[in-house]
Amino acid sequence: MSRLVVSNLSIDRAELPVVTSLDLVAESGEISVVLGANGAGKTTLLEGLSGIIPVAGGSIAIDGRALQKARPGARSREGLAHVEQGRTVFRQLTTEENLRVSLHPGADLAEAYALFPELVQRRTVKASLLSGGEQQMLVIARALLTRPKVLLIDEMSAGLAPVIVTRLMTAVRKLADDGLAVVLVEQFAALALSIGNRAYVMRRGRVVHDGDCAKLRQSPDELHRLYLGGSETAVSA
Amino acid sequence: MKRASLRASLVIIVVALIAGGVAYAGLLPSYWVFLATSVLITGVALQSLGLVAGRTGMIALCQMSFAGVGAWTVGYLNIAEAPGGLPVWILIGGLAAVPFGVAIGLPALRLRGINLAIVTLSFATAFDTILATMTYPGQTDFLQVPRPELFDSDEGYFVFVLLFYGTIAVALEIINRTRLGASWLAVRHSERAAAAHGVSIATAKLSAFAISAFVAGVSGGLLAGYLGTLVAENFSMMQSLSLYAVSVMAGAHFAEGAIIGGLLVVMFPELLRRLDWPQDIGNVFFAIGATQALASGETMSETFRRQVRKLLPARKPKPVGASTQDLPAAVERPVGAALTIDGLTVRYGSVVALNNVSLTVAAGTVAGLIGPNGAGKSTFIDAVAGFLSSYQGSVRLGERPLEGMSAHRRARAGVRRTWQTNRIAPELTVGGYLALAARGLSASETRALLDWLDCPHPDMLVSSVDAGTRRLLDVAGVVAARPAVVLLDEPAAGQSHEETLRLGQRIAEIPKLFGSAVLLVEHDMDLVRAVCSDVTVLDFGQVIASGPPAKVLGERAVKKAYLGIEEESVAA
Amino acid sequence: MRGGADPDRYFGPKPARFPDWEKMNPLLTSAVAGLTAGGTYALLGVCAVFTYRLVAVVNFTGAAIGTAGTFVLIALFEAGFPIWPSVLAGIAAGTLTGVAIGYIMTRWFGEASASTKAAVTVALLVGLIAIGLRLTGGQHPHNMPELFPGSAFRLAGVEVTIASVLTIGLAVLFTILSDLFLNRTKIGLNLRALADRPMAAELLGVRVQMLSLLVWGMTGAFTTFALMIIAPQRSPNFMTLSLLVVPALAAALVGVFRSFWWTLAGGIALGLVEGLASSIDSISQYRSAIPFLVVLAVLLWSQREARWDEAR
Repeated sequence: MSRLVVSNLSIDRAELPVVTSLDLVAESGEISVVLGANGAGKTTLLEGLSGIIPVAGGSIAIDGRALQKARPGARSREGLAHVEQGRTVFRQLTTEENLRVSLHPGADLAEAYALFPELVQRRTVKASLLSGGEQQMLVIARALLTRPKVLLIDEMSAGLAPVIVTRLMTAVRKLADDGLAVVLVEQFAALALSIGNRAYVMRRGRVVHDGDCAKLRQSPDELHRLYLGGSETAVSA
Repeated sequence: MKRASLRASLVIIVVALIAGGVAYAGLLPSYWVFLATSVLITGVALQSLGLVAGRTGMIALCQMSFAGVGAWTVGYLNIAEAPGGLPVWILIGGLAAVPFGVAIGLPALRLRGINLAIVTLSFATAFDTILATMTYPGQTDFLQVPRPELFDSDEGYFVFVLLFYGTIAVALEIINRTRLGASWLAVRHSERAAAAHGVSIATAKLSAFAISAFVAGVSGGLLAGYLGTLVAENFSMMQSLSLYAVSVMAGAHFAEGAIIGGLLVVMFPELLRRLDWPQDIGNVFFAIGATQALASGETMSETFRRQVRKLLPARKPKPVGASTQDLPAAVERPVGAALTIDGLTVRYGSVVALNNVSLTVAAGTVAGLIGPNGAGKSTFIDAVAGFLSSYQGSVRLGERPLEGMSAHRRARAGVRRTWQTNRIAPELTVGGYLALAARGLSASETRALLDWLDCPHPDMLVSSVDAGTRRLLDVAGVVAARPAVVLLDEPAAGQSHEETLRLGQRIAEIPKLFGSAVLLVEHDMDLVRAVCSDVTVLDFGQVIASGPPAKVLGERAVKKAYLGIEEESVAA
Repeated sequence: MRGGADPDRYFGPKPARFPDWEKMNPLLTSAVAGLTAGGTYALLGVCAVFTYRLVAVVNFTGAAIGTAGTFVLIALFEAGFPIWPSVLAGIAAGTLTGVAIGYIMTRWFGEASASTKAAVTVALLVGLIAIGLRLTGGQHPHNMPELFPGSAFRLAGVEVTIASVLTIGLAVLFTILSDLFLNRTKIGLNLRALADRPMAAELLGVRVQMLSLLVWGMTGAFTTFALMIIAPQRSPNFMTLSLLVVPALAAALVGVFRSFWWTLAGGIALGLVEGLASSIDSISQYRSAIPFLVVLAVLLWSQREARWDEAR
């Protein structure tokens, strides 16, 4: 059982505060969904967690081990995996080579193919030639093979057809059920809420709502307000 | 001349007068005067390097070759007994170096700065061997380059060189504060942002190379008069390389940086000689210094300036106290469509980023363009402003089609844009930035405009302005030019709620105050709702809705684009 | 053995001194005489491309690193050590120099722009040359042992030296080996991933810094060996050898800093043209301007389709 605990985290980007005193907990076996409109600071949050950008203050810990000062590589070796947005496959490498880059000594390629059987017949294909959905599967599988405790996933549905998104969501749910702590950043709320456990809604770098996914799903107006802003009456058309 | 450059020029002239007086009055031993002359000549060469390396940020490794061209030209003019004497010969020598500078700059015009490093280093090599085959003109006849009569003594020649140094320093100081000088810094920081202000990258770079080569050529001519006769070794590639290291270390684009560098080059070996240490380890010191400066991002001059600023009481910029009446007058525009985009399609390989997008921005209005991440909004702005190599469809400014026009020409024609990331050169002053963005803005107009957007005093350095305010400055820059169309790319990102409200008011005022139509790309829906009369929503590169914001934001397709799959289908 | 007092301060191969010079086709002879240089340029160029592709540095110290190793060999040899152990020690020294430069680059300039990185290597080149000249006594002549004297075979009546075969062979070998290494080993796989997306690789726990140092060490070893072979043909002085980086970068530009094989071809062609030029009296003294002309031509050509600098 592992947990990621983030407390009072602040992150600046080009001197601008983008994330401000944010608290978040991700439990093993659960999907914590982070929602919010563009520019709310979701991606910056994940980049701060994985060490791509330095944090301005606060702490990040997995199972009590402080990570906020470690380099990204060290955080990865401590069990933090980050699936960046934009499907960052190694373009010049084949599918299987992509998977082998991250292969933990105790992990097996078969795990990746079991999660996404679609990838088996694409093993020798250059990653740049895969479809968007396949690339997204590849980066998730690749992160999985580092044997993480915590998996951060950023905007995996961006630009993908709904049927693929559903497929990916199912796979992520399975990963959580197998014991991973998943932090899922999404702009498209509805489906994410349907598979998530706990929901955080961000606006202007702060968490403005923190609660149960199912509850938020049942009040779309509330969600709409949190997202698009404005008063309830303005959007009730 | 602006007051700030006047002040800097005065400082240079006063310091030069004192130095000249001290030397001429014979207060210093001759040997020191002789060394000081060498410092100044090196300083002139460093100024030339400071311009191209320090200001435009290119790696130039053949500066002493340009100096060699100048020196050899002076030598030939001497044996040809050309009229005018040394001062004229030196200027001709400088001019002779210009074509070389331009020719070498040409291949680096549109490529990365690293290529200039390779070109210049290989030119320095080639020039070395060519120079090695040419003895200095007059050398075989023991004919020395004569100094002007008035400046014949060592002290006199020091004053002569000082005159050149001072003139060049003042001239560079003035140029640096013009739009041309600002464009060099802008190009160094971001070529695209510079082009978006209508700066021609080719003109900016080539002018820097040309002026730099001229100044380097002058330094060679000065050296000819200093030593009388020269050898190829004076201008070898190693000299150029070491000069580059010194310029990086000292910050040769500052007037005092060139002197600091000159002192290092001349005095360090002198010091080593007196200590009876080998003099050639000077270059090791310069290499370490340059590496350190690159690692810390601060040259010796900048450290010096920072320390001086600490010592001096901080000068508070006077409150501007300008009123909106001082704002530059709006440009009258015909009514109708300011910007018409018809069937715009952009493909990256097999990916269709924009698919048949049509959109009209009416003159005198603020239109909005919204959509989720990756919908193609930035691609849209890039295409309209001329930053894409190709697209299908048409973009018309008023009645004028923009196809085939480069980014800087579109900017001059009246399409101005801002950027999501901060691309303002931090070395510029706030006022200098506005001068770059808009030609011929008066001082009171500048202040009024800055005041209107809550931007800092024009004398402030951009580097000391916080990032949020820099975004406002970006907006100030585009409206200052009063173009037909302003494209704002997420101006409110990173602003607080109150700041966003205020910015919204300002954006809404742009059409009336400046005569520019606005296309606003924004994520903040409150802002869009508040200022836009018309909104277009993009998703997957296609227009999915357009119309008045209240109506559009309520549409089902728009909710779906923002929230993902339609709520009914989520039941699974 | 040759002394260091050479009127050719920079590059340009010496015409080989064949006994029956007049009888042979002089153009072919001089072209072939340029092969050793061509092979060296090719190898140095391929190393430059290797460094650029894997750690994104345009390295101006490439030849200087190899020169440092070569002078360790010379020092040991002059001190009376046997030749082959000295060669190994020299290669080790070159490797270490490469790693040291690489450490500076990764430790302080890992996140810097390509332009800044190049500027740093220029500064380091100035320092390396200064240290090298000081330690090796400047223009003072040295005894550089010819590692592979003699001719390998005759081609159309022209002697082809072992050195030229060896440098070209080494360049080809390096190209093939790096190909195999990158495509067949786990380290090579991680290196390719690193070159493709450094941050994604680091996020997966790839030890980015160590791999970068490996690249620097490998190129250091190969350039050292190449310079050991060509040094006897040139005036073995620290600066002259260090500035072989100019034709190397010219060759790398032919391969657009991407293609190993084009770089290889570019380097060899550069050597051949220099060899040819050295046989024509009217231009022979200007032959070291050839890399400049090549650079100019390649850049003007590649400018056809230059776009906005992606980074800015």
